[in-house]
Amino acid sequence: MSSFDTLHILNKSPEHPRAAQCLALLSKGDALLLTENGVLLLSAGRLPAVGKVFALSPDVSARGLGNPVGDVTVVEFGDMVSLSLQAQRVISW
Amino acid sequence: MSTLIMIDQPPYGSWSGREALDMAFSLAAFDQPASLLFTGAGVTWLKRAQDTAGIAQKSVERNLSAAPIFGIEAILADRSACQKYGLDESSLITGVTLVDANGALLEQYDHTAFAG
Amino acid sequence: MPERNSEGFLEDAQAWTENVATTIAAEDNIQLSENHWEIIMFLRSFYKEHEMSPPSNRLFVKAVKETLGEDKGNSIYLMQLFPGTPAKTACRIAGLPRPTNCL
Repeated sequence: MSSFDTLHILNKSPEHPRAAQCLALLSKGDALLLTENGVLLLSAGRLPAVGKVFALSPDVSARGLGNPVGDVTVVEFGDMVSLSLQAQRVISW
Repeated sequence: MSTLIMIDQPPYGSWSGREALDMAFSLAAFDQPASLLFTGAGVTWLKRAQDTAGIAQKSVERNLSAAPIFGIEAILADRSACQKYGLDESSLITGVTLVDANGALLEQYDHTAFAG
Repeated sequence: MPERNSEGFLEDAQAWTENVATTIAAEDNIQLSENHWEIIMFLRSFYKEHEMSPPSNRLFVKAVKETLGEDKGNSIYLMQLFPGTPAKTACRIAGLPRPTNCL
């Protein structure tokens, strides 16, 4: 049983063309995990309307984005593994 | 477990695409099914008759021609990106399959990864 | 002997001759037979065609198998001809760059 259809791992800043592609493909039933500069999406205030959003804690903290607003779950490195195991497919953007 | 390696960067000017190629070859070395998908400016990897003598780099066209020998399953190129860069069947290297790079295509692979 | 790097690989693949191959092989206590030359010539044409050495030992075996068949494209056969890491030993003798993913 998979909890998510596709886990999208996005490590690109919101200005990177791949970020737009990723968000366009994100569907209901998917999960979005923001890492590295991908977490800047949280400050750009552009959280997607569909899918469940996660953000990697050390990257969030490093950029001073602690306690982000909106429907986002902050996770640790170890959670990345279980997230990928919960997904049917993984796309690393 | 099938893997799709995506290349969306042009061939010369950064190493990210070569890393992608390396990734694909390494998967093939361990008999893991792997395919390459070229999108965006990445489709320019697939242009016939690249002459890299002047920039002192190895030709990705020639490197890529080793892919079938190493067991890479398919070399795919996004149709609309090819159109945008003026590439048709006569200007593409042999062995390329034109596809529409959309969600339905990515759903066929367990793992999709970009390099760089 | 043309210029070589610290691991004994030629700096310039163009500088290779059959005599160079014989000399490098002798350093590894290998006396080149017809079977050796077949693989060396295969590697040189592979490099000319693809501008790369097979990047790893496994891919070297695969490439030989693809071209010369299973009798020769297997690791035992290649290991007997080119002891150590066959891809590395064979590329060194063939005057080609070191396979990128061989330690």
